Amino acid sequence: MKEYDVIGKNVRRLDAAEKATGTATFSTDFSLPGMLHGKVLRSPYPHAKIVSIDTAEAEKLPGVKAVATYQNTPREIFNTSATMAFTVPALEPVLDQYIFDNIVRYVGDEVAAVAAVSEKVAEAALELIKVEYEELPAIFDPLEAMEPGAPDIHPNCSAGKNIPGEIVKIPFGDVDKGFVESDVVFEGRFKLPVQKQAQLETQAAVAQVGADGKITVWSTTQTPHPSRSILAKVFGVPESKVRVLNPPYVGGGFGVRIGLSAKAEPIAVALAKLAGKPVKVVYSREDDFIASDTRHGGYVSIKLGSKKDGTFHAMELKGTLNTGAYCSFGCETPGVMGAMGLAVYRVPNQSYYGHSVYTNTSPAGAMRGFGNPQAMFAIESAVDMMAEKLGMDPLELRLKNIMQVGDPWCLPYPCQSTGLAECIEKGAGSIGWDNRNSLNQPGAKKLRGIGAGVGTHVSNAWPFCVDYDNAYLAVQQDGSIHLAAGVPDIGTGTSTTLPQLAAEALGVGLGEVSLTFGDTATTPFDIGSHASRTCYAAGTAVVAAANDARRQVLEYAGDFLNVPPERLDIKGSVIYITGQELGEQCAGTGVCQTGAGTSVCETGEKRNSVSLRDLAYHAHLRNKQFIGVGRIVPGNAPPWQAHFAEVEVDTETGQVKVLKVAAAHDVGKAINPCIVEGQIEGGVLMGVGYATSEEITYDAKGRQLHNSLHKYMLPTAEDAPEIDAIVVEASDPTGPFGAKGVGETGLVPTAGAIANAVYNATGIRFYEIPLTEEKVYRALKQRV
Amino acid sequence: MLQDYLVPKTIDQALSHLQNNNGKARIIAGGTDLLLDLKEGKKEAGILVDITRIPGLKVITMENGVVRIGSAATHNQVAKSDIIREKALVLAQAARSVGSLQIRNSGTVVGNVLNAQPAADTAVALTALGAVAEILSPAKKEYLPVEELYAGLGKSTLDSTSQLLTMVQFPALLKNQGSAFERLEQRKALALPMLNVAVVVSLSGEQFEWARIVMAPVGTKPVRATESEAILKGARATSELIEKAAGAAIAQANPRDSALRGSREYRLEVLPVLVKRALESAVAQAKGNF
Amino acid sequence: MSVKTLSFILNGENTVVEVALSDMLVDVLREKLLLTGTKKGCGKGECGACTVIMNGEAVNSCMVPALKAEGAIVETIEGIGRPDKLHPLQESFMDQGAIQCGFCTPGMIMSAKALLDKNLTPNREDIREAVSGNICRCTGYVKIEKAVSVAAKQIRENQ
Repeated sequence: MKEYDVIGKNVRRLDAAEKATGTATFSTDFSLPGMLHGKVLRSPYPHAKIVSIDTAEAEKLPGVKAVATYQNTPREIFNTSATMAFTVPALEPVLDQYIFDNIVRYVGDEVAAVAAVSEKVAEAALELIKVEYEELPAIFDPLEAMEPGAPDIHPNCSAGKNIPGEIVKIPFGDVDKGFVESDVVFEGRFKLPVQKQAQLETQAAVAQVGADGKITVWSTTQTPHPSRSILAKVFGVPESKVRVLNPPYVGGGFGVRIGLSAKAEPIAVALAKLAGKPVKVVYSREDDFIASDTRHGGYVSIKLGSKKDGTFHAMELKGTLNTGAYCSFGCETPGVMGAMGLAVYRVPNQSYYGHSVYTNTSPAGAMRGFGNPQAMFAIESAVDMMAEKLGMDPLELRLKNIMQVGDPWCLPYPCQSTGLAECIEKGAGSIGWDNRNSLNQPGAKKLRGIGAGVGTHVSNAWPFCVDYDNAYLAVQQDGSIHLAAGVPDIGTGTSTTLPQLAAEALGVGLGEVSLTFGDTATTPFDIGSHASRTCYAAGTAVVAAANDARRQVLEYAGDFLNVPPERLDIKGSVIYITGQELGEQCAGTGVCQTGAGTSVCETGEKRNSVSLRDLAYHAHLRNKQFIGVGRIVPGNAPPWQAHFAEVEVDTETGQVKVLKVAAAHDVGKAINPCIVEGQIEGGVLMGVGYATSEEITYDAKGRQLHNSLHKYMLPTAEDAPEIDAIVVEASDPTGPFGAKGVGETGLVPTAGAIANAVYNATGIRFYEIPLTEEKVYRALKQRV
Repeated sequence: MLQDYLVPKTIDQALSHLQNNNGKARIIAGGTDLLLDLKEGKKEAGILVDITRIPGLKVITMENGVVRIGSAATHNQVAKSDIIREKALVLAQAARSVGSLQIRNSGTVVGNVLNAQPAADTAVALTALGAVAEILSPAKKEYLPVEELYAGLGKSTLDSTSQLLTMVQFPALLKNQGSAFERLEQRKALALPMLNVAVVVSLSGEQFEWARIVMAPVGTKPVRATESEAILKGARATSELIEKAAGAAIAQANPRDSALRGSREYRLEVLPVLVKRALESAVAQAKGNF
Repeated sequence: MSVKTLSFILNGENTVVEVALSDMLVDVLREKLLLTGTKKGCGKGECGACTVIMNGEAVNSCMVPALKAEGAIVETIEGIGRPDKLHPLQESFMDQGAIQCGFCTPGMIMSAKALLDKNLTPNREDIREAVSGNICRCTGYVKIEKAVSVAAKQIRENQ
């Protein structure tokens, strides 16, 4: 195995010092001279027409500088999500919202906004805005919203009643025939909850409109470049005159701001234009809950057919997801749900049919896993039930059917790597799989159980969405490296792993590299941080840029040292002739800095190496800089994962306690293993919450019941189980140094593993998560 | 609109601030509940009178078998206090279960009681301990049992614009006595209870001398399960008897349906489990003390 | 009267600042004193991002009326280490990979410091209790727990 100098090592994150000392700047920390504060008036009704809106009193309040409504802001229809900028033809992006509209479609929908000298004044002004509403009929369940009599939430739903965009259909083989030929068939429908990203920094943006009309927005977006495209369209200015950047840190994402940060950016820009001053809009936590994207809840149906010997033969998957009042990723999420659901097992006959449905609830969009956790809860539950029907060990059944390299599958790129079998083996060892049927004493009131689930994912969004990356790398005049990439660092470690990749590819130390990121004005276009893609895809561009610069360096050095460039290599910022020992006295003698650079040392010996520092300066004095450009369209590669959960069910109260999750992940080459583990651990805990406690529900008037961190039951430190993150490295030829995606994968199979563990403990199968105490108690009771 | 924030150094100063402002001034201690109520317009105050700098109010003492907790003592002080852990474990456990550590460092036990939520953890425990509150008005000093501080849902009989609760007191538990707190919760921190139960038992050998069982939220305030208590009184402490008494608790429980924290039905069904578990721990503790 | 003068000791320095009566400590720190290391994640005491140490105890500065800090000793993330001499917790959070998005980090470190200031041999439960009010959505808390115990050990060994 190749020895690496920089990658594969647990170097400290390059952003750690700023973050540990409180000096890291986030959007919510950012301010400008003369800056105003914006607050948003939100609809109290789930569906209503604005009959009249009177802002006169609000405008009179001292300190108020602007009030924005649908009457004085651009009426350009758009989509807050990046789908607007990266939907692949022949599909069309769904455009279904305005900054403000005269119809409100969910409780929390934007009605008006105020810019004032302080948040307090802005809040007071909101109360002075008089709005007369005419209530319209509202609908909250996706199945009911498809009924003929349901209210139409948006016009022009050509695919079906309240169905945005198009229905996703994935045919593979002959599924009807497949079921006829199957010996055993399982069929079931599963219900999924609405989960919330609950990233720690709420949606935020600061907008400045210059005297020259240029717009600059500092915000929490995960995708500055696509966000710029959206804002340019909404405000009718050339993209070159809009700059979107992170300042530079973003307090988490998990999909909630792929595209705009809900509407923080356009509202801030609209107010800034009206007020003629910079405006900062920071969502309150309640705003963030009710008025920014959630995970899609809904229904997944599965039918699985198998031969008697446990060979899967047919699978049919159907998804009906609730996308809420606006379609941000309402078309793509059901697509990924199907594509990933069908990619895990080798099933010759498959089909998927899925779509989302508008309802009068908060918009659902992208959230870590993007439809995949929904699918895998159903699939992994079904596989366990199939194992029982067949009388097989659930792991044996999985190992028999999991996708192998080169197997035909429904995805438009080949499966070129899998470490799933190794993940299963290692995870099973960690959890003690063999003990699973001897965990409980007869008569015990608290029952233990162990369950497993597996899954895969993507490493970027191509070819489902536009997905390409650019990076440039410039060798500075002292030999240090400046790298620029348009992706943000939303916490996943991009600003460390990209420099690691550049350093490794170029042959310099990590300390030499600095990165500019998350800024449309100083970085080339990049689609952004989503789809577990940043290290894999932006990393590929960075490596390409590094290789380009390296080629230039070696060519120049070849002339300098009078050897063909092919004979040169770079290590530790020293260019040397391979096969010859590094001449210590020759590296960095300072000769070149005088401009009298020569391939001959003062001693008269012929040099066999030169430091990058000397070479770069030598070039500088001759009017040359080494600048590498990486322009790539990434391939795609499947990361794989196997989760094993041990649970304890209190049969007297119904409480499910997750004791341990062993999470084995094939991530390809782990560029920074510590960062990879962190991604897995965080994902697992989010998956534990998804499976056991997290859920947003609505009352009969369409109001969120779980609209705060106190009411929304995400796990605290005291709730976290033991998590064993196991890294498996099945290198993929398409990734930088063999790396694959990891970010989203931490919670893909978790809910299935936990539900299977609860079944192992209690013998009760749950078709719905989260496994709250009352739900579990009721089921235990019904069985008795 | 807040017009002043006063930080008196003595009880007399605090009382005169209240008196001088004729109902416009209101006592604040930790503020963890009050500030939210003020923000949401549920309560009003022109002037806040902060009592947390009054030296005598922060202390926890035991004298002549009586434990006293000043009204500025925080949840964390109470949860970590050796006196409370030894002489009223149920209260230490209840205080430990409130909010998060940060909330417990600010919020006070007395504030928890005066916020008058039915399932206020420490109010449930204090009721089981038979605690009594000392209340000062400009004109008089009076003593009220903690359970009588509840005037209704979220409403205290104490008027924090004219009265000051200085401390709560209760008899320290004896060697033959034990106590325990059980809480059904959706997560281990930052969660209100779905149900909570506090019990104090007094044993004579193998027999219950008496037991006090308090449960919530099953009414507008912490509710005594007197029927269960009657079953235990004078009887031998067997698991069958405990089970029977626990089952009887539901007769006096009238929980509401909560969209956030469980249906009435579920709460009624699980309540006996909590009562049973609390009784079992309290009995084990009382026996272990011998 | 809607403005008052607040005097307190902030990160070891006598500090005097005009505050509105309704200001919370977090607002004074962030907006008046420009100490934006202390974050605001909910404004209701539900996330812990604004945790500071006041008179030795970790508190949510969004739930502390600014005037409650009169005469108090307050420590924020900006006060516990310098670039050339970071607090062992800052070092261990960096070394152990306990930092991801970084938004919870200052509050998390302050909660941990309040613990270690009193207890240099914390067990797992002590650590979890200390940060129970600090929501982290990135890390699953695994490396945070580790970082706190490593820092405790570091401090013990340096004593």
